[in-house]
Order: sequence, then structure tokens, then C-alpha cells
Amino acid sequence: MEEVLNQNRDGIKRVSAQLFSLMQLFNCLMIMFITLVTAHAMHGFILEGNAFDLITKCHATIVYWKIPVIAGILYISLLLLLSIECNNHIELIVKLWLEIAVSAGLFYCTGLSYTVMVLLILADIVRNRIDWSKKILYIVLLSCVDLVLNGNVLSGYANPVSVNQIWTYYRPDVASVFSGAINIMFLIDVFIFILYMVFLILEQMSEKERIAALYRELSIANHKLAEANKQLEEYTEELVSAAETRERNRFAQEIHDTLGHALTGIVTGIEACIMLMDIAPDATKEQLKAIEEVARQGITDVRQSVKALRPDALERLKLEDALLKIIDETMRSTGITINYNCTTSLLNLSQDEEDAIYRIVQESVTNAIRHGKADVIDIGIGREDGLLNIKIKDNGIGCGKVYKGFGLHHMQERLSLLKGTLSYDGSDGFTIYASIPIRWGNSAEEKED
Amino acid sequence: MKRRYRLLLSAVLVFLAVLVVYGFLPLSPGSQNVLTVGAFAGSYWSLQNGNSYKILDDAIDLFEKENPGVRVQYVSGITRDQYQEWLSGKKAEGKMPDVFLVPSDSFQSFAEIGAMQSLDGFMKHDNDFSEDVFYEKALQSGRYRNMLYALPYECSPVIMVMNRTLLQDNGIPEPRKDWTWNEFYEACRMTGVSEGEASGQYGVIDYSWKDAFAANRVKLFNDKGTACDFTGDNINEALILLEQLSKLPKGKVISAGDFYKGVVAFEPMSFATYRARVQNDLSYQNYSDFEWGYTSMPAGTAGDNVSRLDTLTVAISSDSHSKRDAWRFIKTLTATEAIQKEIYDYSEGLSPLKSVTEDPAMEEYVLDRYGVVLDRDVITYVMERAENENRFPDYEELETEVTTAVDSILEDKSNIRMEQIIWNRRINNYIKKLSY
Repeated sequence: MEEVLNQNRDGIKRVSAQLFSLMQLFNCLMIMFITLVTAHAMHGFILEGNAFDLITKCHATIVYWKIPVIAGILYISLLLLLSIECNNHIELIVKLWLEIAVSAGLFYCTGLSYTVMVLLILADIVRNRIDWSKKILYIVLLSCVDLVLNGNVLSGYANPVSVNQIWTYYRPDVASVFSGAINIMFLIDVFIFILYMVFLILEQMSEKERIAALYRELSIANHKLAEANKQLEEYTEELVSAAETRERNRFAQEIHDTLGHALTGIVTGIEACIMLMDIAPDATKEQLKAIEEVARQGITDVRQSVKALRPDALERLKLEDALLKIIDETMRSTGITINYNCTTSLLNLSQDEEDAIYRIVQESVTNAIRHGKADVIDIGIGREDGLLNIKIKDNGIGCGKVYKGFGLHHMQERLSLLKGTLSYDGSDGFTIYASIPIRWGNSAEEKED
Repeated sequence: MKRRYRLLLSAVLVFLAVLVVYGFLPLSPGSQNVLTVGAFAGSYWSLQNGNSYKILDDAIDLFEKENPGVRVQYVSGITRDQYQEWLSGKKAEGKMPDVFLVPSDSFQSFAEIGAMQSLDGFMKHDNDFSEDVFYEKALQSGRYRNMLYALPYECSPVIMVMNRTLLQDNGIPEPRKDWTWNEFYEACRMTGVSEGEASGQYGVIDYSWKDAFAANRVKLFNDKGTACDFTGDNINEALILLEQLSKLPKGKVISAGDFYKGVVAFEPMSFATYRARVQNDLSYQNYSDFEWGYTSMPAGTAGDNVSRLDTLTVAISSDSHSKRDAWRFIKTLTATEAIQKEIYDYSEGLSPLKSVTEDPAMEEYVLDRYGVVLDRDVITYVMERAENENRFPDYEELETEVTTAVDSILEDKSNIRMEQIIWNRRINNYIKKLSY
């Protein structure tokens, strides 16, 4: 749409520029025709011995060959002036007056018979980009000049070369052909001028149309923007509710992780106590103390979760320490063996990643004890190709088919938030593989290496 | 091209155009030191003259001696009839001579188109020059709209030539220089005789309406010749005089030649013609049997003893590139006594220089050598009162029209005032027709 309009506008602009050139050309033709014919007639007057009539009746005080020469020079000068584009109002005023002065010279040269260059100046004024109010002022001024020139007002005061008298040199029929030619050229010139003005108006109109089209496009874009905004708002609301859900899930997970873990530890510990109580009361006492500690830890965990829903150990400790602590606590409270093997640094991990790793280890250990009845658990953490791999293997009963419990499901969710993957294998004990893309760069790692 | 250069270039072009208009082109040859003069062969006064370029040649010699380095040239062989056209052609070709003689009938035309340089500036700055050396009326002929464009070179007023013998025979006292129409009419009436088979006598011949109108201060046309007033009282008086004169008995006196036969008492004549007649030995024999004399023209009832004055003037071309030299040359030609004195040897008119014309030695010299009386008293009186004719471009056509009008009025015996009004309209219509 806009391209079509632009093309259209460029076409109109081109045509009006061509019309302006055509006007200049036609004016040139007219001036040269008038002055050359006049000069020829004046020469004829002299040759025929009517020089006295020529200089008295026709007021031809100028040498005949000078008329076309001067007219040509002045016309070129006028063309140069016309080709100057003005940036501001003062320049335009200066230019306008210079043009009027030059045209007055031309007008005098052609014996007060040639006034069309006023149209040329008028066309030039309209072409310039200035306020319309000022333009109208100049147009009125030029029209007055044109009226004065055309109205033969000046011929009473000035005594220029009288072209009509000079042309009486020719036979009346020839002279009438010449004046006819002049009149036709004048009319053509006026016609071109009118055409030029029409195209100028068309140009203005197409400009307006283009602006209207742009406006239309703008309002459509505005409308779309408003819709998008609305959608965004809706989406934000959705996001908020999603965040709420997630938070609820996390809350549930926290309860499961902290309270569940502690309770599992306590239950397992108490079971052991019941069995041990009769056989070795001292060991039972020891075991109960460990259970108490687990319970206390559980209470603290719950408290922390309620407070910030954040793993307490991680808050206080570095990830590795937190992991070692939880492993130590588990080993002491349950009496199983946990082999921890970490081959990479766990520094510089983001909060999310730390949380995820911590939870995965915690959950896997809990699962191994609770579901797998395992007594040996191997934990391996390593790094390979920008991935942090965690492998947790137990020697428990495993399972043929894995029913994803709440714990596994949440592990998976946590990892997927970090674009990590989780896989497990229940054929030989139970093995969990988790891998997380590491956001800290190789460089940090290499430096440490 | 930058805007500034375009503006500059257009200004340069305009400047160039102005240069072309005023002819300051570098391609014109370096003719700074050559002064060209436009002059014609023969007498300005339509008389025979074999010494046409003598005065000019002497003036050139004098000028070139006083101004070494300046050469003066002129084209010889242009007749008086061709002169105006030749000069116009030069003007139209832009080759106007620096200095040129201006016949009075061309003066106004050339002044109007601005072909002549105004001399007021030169006169103001030239301490050696005073316009008082000329007869005021002669100088006046070089003025156009209060600007002086030309200096008088030679002039000739119309004087009343009389047959003294005839006046004495008829018992008429010789008219004084301040005589009037009444005395004039009376003298004519007393001279007029229609009896006798052979010739008869007549008072005045060739006393034209122009003389009568001038004597009665008639201003027939406005300055530009675009309007005519033929209805005035002073015209009426002039017409009545002319009518009365025409009714006087005149026998077979019909032509100007009859004056030389001694049967006409008065004939108005240009001073130049008078001089030529007297100087010319051949015609002298024709009038040897009566005594010649001249006086001023008779004054009209509402006017003065006004003679029509014709002046040949010299002007500087407005296109000239060496106007200072030209000014010096026209001073040599018009205001130098040695040159002006030659008018009495080689031409027929009066020198407009008072010191020359009123010089007693000159009076004696002219009388001895040529038999011409330079009556200082009368000439001064006449020159003081003379009027230049208003020679606008269409003057000759209108003059013919007025002659027709006057003749028609004099022939018809009807009411003169009525006729005046009718002819006033006709003449004005004719003027309108001429201007288209």
C-alpha cells in the first residue's frame, strides 16, 4: 500500500519537475523568438533607410543585435536563480527580488511585451517549501506585478522598444502570423503552468494520502499492541497462579523432604531400637540419641521450611558440606554405609542448582533406605562435557517396574527446570542418574585444575 | 553546483548584460583618441554653398592643435536631406558619432530618445565656459525639458525684408523696429494697387500664419505635439489680420519672385536667405533698381516683435566614450570667436556668439566684402524676442494641416470663430490619427 503510494507520489513529482523544465524551455523559446524577430526587423528598418522612424516611433535606442544577446544572458541568469533552493524565508525574499529584477530587465528588453516569466517565478515560489501563508503573500505580490506588467501601465512612463511598431516592418500577414505564434506560445505556456499547478496539487494530495495510510497502519499496530498487552497481562496472571501452584508444590515437596526424611529416619531408628533394646540397651540408648538428633534436625528443618521454604543446610553451609553432613547424619541414624565420591568442585553453582543437587541426593538416599531397604549406597558426582552427572546406586531390592512416587516426580521437575535429565534403573539395586547442564564456564573449572 | 556559485554566476551574468547595454565591451577597439563628428554637406539653410566643410575643417585643425593626441574624423558627402536618416542609422547601429550637428527638426526626436548627452554637468564644472556668450534664444533651442543638450552653432531668425524705394514712393515712413500689426497693415494698405495692366503693387507677400501666430504669442501645440488649441482669441486676431491682408488689392502679384521685381513692399525672409540673396551677384542684378532694407517682424495686438528662429545646434552623443574630448570640441566649434567668425565667410546664418555678431569690425567687414548689412540694433532686438519653433516629431504633417485650415478659413467668408472650433476638432482628430 505504502509502496504504491510512494511510487505514485514520485511519479507525480517527476512529472511536475518535467513540466517546470518544459516551462523554462518554452519561455526560452518565446524570448528568443521575440527578440530575434525584433532584431531582424530592426536590422531591416536600417537597411531600408527607415532608421529615423525606428529610433523615434519605435524608441529603438538600443543596437538591434544587443536585444537577443541581453535577453539570453538575463534569461540564463533567471534560470540560475530559479534553480536555487531556499532553506529559509530571508533567502527566499532575496531570491524573489532578484528574480523580479531580472525579469524586469527581460521585460524591458522585450519591449514590455513579454510577461510570462512571472508565471515561472510563481511556479518556483509554489514549489518552495515554506508556509502557505507566506506563499500566498508572495503569490499575491507576484500577481500584482503581473497585472502591472500586463496592464500596460508602465508604457506611459517608460519608453522601451516598441515591438509592435517594429514588427510593422513585416508585411501585415507575416506580422500577424508572428503575433499569432507568440499568442499560441503564450497560451501553451499558461496551459503548462496550469498543468504544473494541477500536478503540484496532486502531489500535495498524494502526500496527504500517504500520511493517512501511515496513520491507518499506525492505528492497526496500536490495536495489535493493545491486544498483545492484554494477552501479556493474562499471561502474567497465569504466571502468577503458576508460581503459586509451583510454590505449593514446592511446599509439599519441602514437607516431604524434610519431615518425611526425618520421620523415615526416626521410624527406621526406632525399629532398630525396638530390636536392640533387649539385646543391647546401651547401643539402644546410643541409637535413641541419634534418633533424637534426627528428630531435632527434622524440627529445625520444618521450622526453616516454614520460615523460608529453603533448605537450612544449604543456607548455612556450602553444598559439599551440606551433602557430607546429611550423609553423616544418615549413616549415624540408620547405620547404613554411604560411599561419597565427588570428583569435581561444587563451588560456583547457582542457588537452583545447589538446591536441586542437594535434594536429589537427599531424596535418593531416603528412597534407597525407605523403599530399597539398602545398607550400602554409592554416591558419585562428576563432570563431563559441561554436564554435572550424579549417580546414586544402592544395593537394595530394586524393582522391576518403577512407580514414580512423589519424590522421583519432584526430582524430575526440579531437573527439568534446570534443563537437566533424570534416569533410573531398578534392575541391580536401584540406580539414579541425574545430569545438569552446568552454567559456570569451563574456564573456572580449568583454572582450578 | 553549489547555491552560492549559482547566485554569484547569475549576478555576474546580470552585470554582463548591463555592460552589453552600455557598450563597455572589451571587444570594441581602442578608439579612445579618435573623435567622430556627424556633419552634412551643403548649407543648412537650403542654399547653395560650396564651402560646406570649411568651418568644420578649421575647427578640427584648431582643436587638434590644442589637444594633441586626439584625432577628429568625419564622414563627408552626406547631404542635408540624407543627414537625419544617416544619423538615425548610426544610432540604431550603435555607431553614433561622438559629436553631431543637430538640425532643429530632429532635435526634439533625438532628445526624446536620449541620443544626446546632457551638457549641464559639463557646463557646471567648466570654469572657462559661460553660456552668456550666446544669444539666449539661440541657446534655448538646445534645451529640452529644462536640460541643455546642444550648443548653438549657427542661427537664423525670420526678418521682415522691405523695399525701401517702394515705401518712399508711396509716402510710407520706414517702420521702426518695434512696429505693430496696425502700422504693418496700414503700410500694406497704402502700397496695394490693383490697377494697371502690367503688374500692380502689393504690400506683403509670404506673410504666413506662422509669422502671424508667432507675433501674437500663439501657442498652438503643447510641447509633445499631442494636443492643439486652435480656438484662442490671439489666433482669432491673427486670422483676422491675415484675412484683411488677403483682401488688399494685389494686382497680378502672386509669387515670392515678385519681390525682386520691386512691386512688393514687404517679404518675411530667413536672415540666411536674405544674406544669400544679397551676396549672390546674379540675383543682385534683379533688384538693383530698388533699395533693400530689413527690420523686425511686426508685433501682434497681444504679442511682441517675435521672429521665428531656426538654430543649427551641436550635441554630444550619449553613447560616446570620450565625452570630455567631445565637450572640448563642441566648445571649439561654437564658442570660439575665430571659428564663429567664419560663419560670415563660409555660411549664411548668424553666429549665435554675441561677441562675433555684434562686433563693429565684423559689421564693417561683412558690408565691405559682401554688401550685407549687419544691423546690430535690429539683430539684437530680433534675437532678444525670437522664438524657437516647437519642432516635435510630427510637426511637418500638422503644419500642413494647419495651413490647410488657415487657407480654408481665409477663403470661406463665413464666421472665423465658428471655423476655428470646427478646425480645432479636425486637427486634434488628425493628431490622434497620427499617433496610431
